[in-house]
Amino acid sequence: MRDALRRVSLGYLVLAATAVAYIVVYTSRLGRFPTSFDYLSILNTTLPLVFVAIGQSLVVLTGGIDLSVGGMVSVCVAVTATTVSSSITWLFVVLAIGTACGALNGLIVAYGRIAPILTTLATLSIFTGLGLRVLPVPGGSIPQEVRLVLTNPATPTGLIWLGLAVAGWLVLRRTRFGMRVYAIGSDEASARAVGVPAAAVKLKVYALSGLCSALAAVFYVSTTTSGDANAGNPFILTSIASVVVGGVAFSGGRGSALGAVAGAVALTLVIDILFFSGIDPLYQSLFQGLFLVVAVLLGTVAALAARRRRQA
Amino acid sequence: MSSRRVLYALGGTVAVLLVGAILHPGFASWSSLRVMLVVASFTGFVAAGQMLVVLVGGIDLSIPWVLNGAAIVLTTSSLGQTSRAPLAILLALGVGALVGLGNGMGVAWLGVPAVVMTLGMNGVMQGLTLGLSKGLTCASCGSYAPEPLRGLFDGALPAQLFLWAGVGLFMTVLLTLTTFGRRVYAVGVNPRAAFLSGVGVRGVTVALYTLSGVFAALAGIALVAYGGQPSLGLGDPYLFESIAAVVVGGVSILGGRGHYLGVIAGSLTLVAVTTFLQAQRVPEYGRLMIYGLVILAILFAYGREKAHD
Repeated sequence: MRDALRRVSLGYLVLAATAVAYIVVYTSRLGRFPTSFDYLSILNTTLPLVFVAIGQSLVVLTGGIDLSVGGMVSVCVAVTATTVSSSITWLFVVLAIGTACGALNGLIVAYGRIAPILTTLATLSIFTGLGLRVLPVPGGSIPQEVRLVLTNPATPTGLIWLGLAVAGWLVLRRTRFGMRVYAIGSDEASARAVGVPAAAVKLKVYALSGLCSALAAVFYVSTTTSGDANAGNPFILTSIASVVVGGVAFSGGRGSALGAVAGAVALTLVIDILFFSGIDPLYQSLFQGLFLVVAVLLGTVAALAARRRRQA
Repeated sequence: MSSRRVLYALGGTVAVLLVGAILHPGFASWSSLRVMLVVASFTGFVAAGQMLVVLVGGIDLSIPWVLNGAAIVLTTSSLGQTSRAPLAILLALGVGALVGLGNGMGVAWLGVPAVVMTLGMNGVMQGLTLGLSKGLTCASCGSYAPEPLRGLFDGALPAQLFLWAGVGLFMTVLLTLTTFGRRVYAVGVNPRAAFLSGVGVRGVTVALYTLSGVFAALAGIALVAYGGQPSLGLGDPYLFESIAAVVVGGVSILGGRGHYLGVIAGSLTLVAVTTFLQAQRVPEYGRLMIYGLVILAILFAYGREKAHD
């Protein structure tokens, strides 16, 4: 438990460090503090990744991985951009589609007994194809009312949704379901032995990841105001990176979705830091890669140091 | 057990080719088979490296930009001149080896999870490749691959296929006939037991990641020789393709089981499916969906984990 706490706090430490770096770089570059507009644009651009990262962290907590988030975001972006303009109720259809896609992953992983990385690799291809079917060329639109409610460019409505997501997680982890997610991730055989219905829990976890991808897609279309059937691709690697930076263990059972949220925000801030420090954008992924490895190394070093201290 | 999976993988390839030949006359003719074999050889190269790290329960996500970087190193250092070709090839392979070594050190000595280490390395290589070549707009970036390399693909029986056969021989000998190969499987089955029986687990791991980097670079060289010039994003399709080929080839994603012969069959199956769908003029979305369904079907056939309880 203490270990879990420390891993989570690492995610916050990384976030705090990047936030400080952001403010320092910004002020030294522009000669003034970031305005509320800057914070708002960071918030709105981060929200999609935040949602995908929450879903990814749930899956990783059970010891799995979800590569199909890219495909699920793509399908949902395509459907959102093509339908919501005609009727707002389509938003709920989008959420249902995401959940159904995730549930399909869950069925195959939990009841088909195929490794998560392979299942989601195959469904990634299927979902990406579906997205292309719905929206062959980038385009589509989103009604202004939806934008004003979800990612208002003038007032931080995004904070409400971020708050709801965080609150949702805080409630979820205290439910029986939440406990079972950690139990399966820590030791699936033991969890089964004490009567945890592992297959049913996994099914729900993957379905939730699908729902999170759908939410991310809605917010994505809301910020970019149009759709693209390849929009989901970058989220595969960035959601994994967020989860890692947020201190969720890949072996499962340790960490928290809040860490992943912190990781997602930190990753977005890194891009802004690179921008304001005037680094050639071509080198951007170099620093993101280094950031990822260094963040994890810091976690390992901290864990080692703590173990030494306990032994001494 | 694992040799049975090789048979399944070969059976899968034959089945796909048969179905293709029935539905699309000429699909399994030698001329079309030759093209498929050449295209499959690129997957075969990256999958060789991916298989080696998967055998010890690892994964290499840095393949795309190691491949792309090596391809650009080859053309920019050779400038298309035959006399510079040998050195350029060595340089490109060296880049791959160096990156692989870095991955291996990170995984084995620093204890960074393979997914994180290789994902980060992919970013580093992407940044370095884009930055140093100024987005492929540098003075020497317009160079072509040297002429002898482009000859790899000429003739009725392209030299590239012999190169792939050589890779197959190397992999098979390495994994089945050497002490090193024994150690690889030992680490894959149970790293702790392997360590306790005196296997240098870290050394083996570093060697495997290094080899994976070399194979990704080799694929980069072959691809740029095939296409003439490198492009950005050249390696992107090969990340998931390499994993799929390894698994369709009957290698256990959990490590410790699998043969390269199966991976050859897996690479060919994937390419045959794609080629068949293209020949049938299936639109891109249909190709993607059917490709995913075929992988799922194969996984259900022989990729399932043991039941619990």
